[in-house]
Amino acid sequence: MRTRTALLAVLACGALAATSACSVEKQSDGAGSGSAASSENCGSGKDFLIGMSQANNAEPYRQVMNNDIETAAKAVPGFTVEVADAAQDNSKQVADVENFLTQKINLLIISPNEAKPLTAVVKKAYDQGIPVIVLDRKVEGDAYTAFIGGDNVAIGRAAGEFYAKTLLPDGGKVIEIAGLPGATPAAERAQGFREGIKSNPKIEIIASQPADWLRDKGQTVADALLKAHPDVNAIYAHNDPMAEGAYLAAKSAGLETKIKFTGIDALPVPSGGIKAVQEGRLAATFQYATGGREAVDLAKKILVDCSKDVPRSTTLDTMQVTAENAAEAYTKLGGV
Amino acid sequence: MTDTRTPPGEEVAPAAGTVGLRGTAARWVHRPRSRRELLDRLFAVQSLFALVVVFVVAIAVSPRRGGEILFLDGGNLGNIVRAVSEIGIIAVGMTFVILLGGIDLSVGAILGLSAVGTATLMVDSGYGILPAVVVVLAIGLLFGALQGYATARLGIQSFIVTLAGLQVARGLARIWSGGLGIPIAYGDGPKEAPPAFEFLNGSINGVVPVPAVLFIAIGVAAIVVLRTTAFARHVYAIGGNEKAAKLSGVPVTRVKVAVFAIAGLLAAVAGIIHAGQLNQGSPNDGAGYELDAIAAVVIGGTSLAGGSGSMGGTLAGALLLGILNNILALNNIDANVQLLIKGLVIVAAAALQKLRNTVA
Repeated sequence: MRTRTALLAVLACGALAATSACSVEKQSDGAGSGSAASSENCGSGKDFLIGMSQANNAEPYRQVMNNDIETAAKAVPGFTVEVADAAQDNSKQVADVENFLTQKINLLIISPNEAKPLTAVVKKAYDQGIPVIVLDRKVEGDAYTAFIGGDNVAIGRAAGEFYAKTLLPDGGKVIEIAGLPGATPAAERAQGFREGIKSNPKIEIIASQPADWLRDKGQTVADALLKAHPDVNAIYAHNDPMAEGAYLAAKSAGLETKIKFTGIDALPVPSGGIKAVQEGRLAATFQYATGGREAVDLAKKILVDCSKDVPRSTTLDTMQVTAENAAEAYTKLGGV
Repeated sequence: MTDTRTPPGEEVAPAAGTVGLRGTAARWVHRPRSRRELLDRLFAVQSLFALVVVFVVAIAVSPRRGGEILFLDGGNLGNIVRAVSEIGIIAVGMTFVILLGGIDLSVGAILGLSAVGTATLMVDSGYGILPAVVVVLAIGLLFGALQGYATARLGIQSFIVTLAGLQVARGLARIWSGGLGIPIAYGDGPKEAPPAFEFLNGSINGVVPVPAVLFIAIGVAAIVVLRTTAFARHVYAIGGNEKAAKLSGVPVTRVKVAVFAIAGLLAAVAGIIHAGQLNQGSPNDGAGYELDAIAAVVIGGTSLAGGSGSMGGTLAGALLLGILNNILALNNIDANVQLLIKGLVIVAAAALQKLRNTVA
């Protein structure tokens, strides 16, 4: 079952790439030692050890990223993946990568906790000739083989445009439940949304409060905001758990049928946003792709196909998930 | 809500100078016993006083609609108590631990483990409500008792024991759930929880949320236990001076095991409520709740040094935190300013306690 899903997933991404749903930039001249050195150690029929250095397993999004990588890698003969969890700790993540180097990994996939503290160790790996794929968050400089990530401003904008055209075409009052104050994705999802709703001046954001990405805080914050603004038309949450929390608050206030809820992330797991859309709690959610499958795809190109021409930077597009395509999206993204 | 620097039932007899309360300021200054008594009485209701102040301020700054004060709306007050019910229940257990002179950092993780356990047992393992609840409570109780035993018998500081316990409980929760939240759907089919469990999400007469009722009931029971039982006197005695308590025949190990078991049990109760309120059990649930619970206890006037404090204060402290969160959101206060205000209020409450320790 898992293998089949993974195959499907790889196929899906291949199709995505073919229809240019993944926008790619061609590799720049500074391709560097990583892929050059790897050409000596590549080819089919060999065994490869891939180190996956994860910033924090405790976030469902990152857990799904790990799962995506592991399932996709299982479909590639010869690939073995080891995952290390840095538990949100930069120094632990530096040590994780160093341990990988000691283990003589053939390729490093890293989703850095923060850019600056991890730049040096990523460069160290790259300088040793190990191809490095950076996921979701960047490192500084150009000592890596490829970067794959989403675009939170674009996701926020997509959500805003959905509000402007589909959800509230005649305008209305919107409450925003924001992510952790100070977190870049929260700022970008807020900014993008405001750009997206500009085309419809009758949409008004009447309140914005943070709930730190958490479902329980989303509920508590929405409790109060719905008291202050029971006439609100829709709630825009920066992620799905907070949207679900807001839904619970509205339900206990008897307002859940009058208000529309949207989230972001669309994780293909039972507790994720796609299921919430399918079950009618959320009107829509917008995918924030993990890039896990794409990373393994790239790893296969580098290690098995000996390709030197890999895209330097891949920006993953978002997918709008509504009741119409929720079931399909769930399967397509590898949900079980 | 009385001050219980001395064990209940053994309170210092009212000083002769009590009548002096009616006297002049000069008389207080020259009669230290009365002055001290007055301070004691004032500080005894310190946490309640702070709660009243915050409550009044909240009314004053509350947004209004058509003359109605939104903060005082029945539904809103219910929401506040519901929102702090989990922290409050944990804080009740934490009060026992802190009175003992210890600390319990594992309660947030036990909450997460219990939420995961509740969801998994009902949804994946097909347990009924009662068996699931019993198993989860037993796990919490046992987990706490083991920590108490390690603290008492191995003589390891509770800070370290429960820090380790935090990791273990979090790890177990992650393993049990596969690292992802387990959603709870209600129904009679497979992979569905009994619909009756949704009562934790409901309210009595549509006004008083069930978790709020549970919190208040547990809080009141804890006040009674702390005021009337020999067990409570032992807790105060150990927190005050463990060696002396041991010498005077207090069963230190047994009391410690019991106290940490209570803390674990109450964290499990909070975890079950958490799963019921959010229709989900996630391994990351309750992260950092231990700090909020400790804050509630300290704002409530219980000394982190042990041996002194009251349960009523803790309940007031938890409610104070809830009102603070609610009024800030009700007024749509900027997130960064919120942090500032919350920090200052907590420092103010702690400063009040310090003042009491130096003056009285």
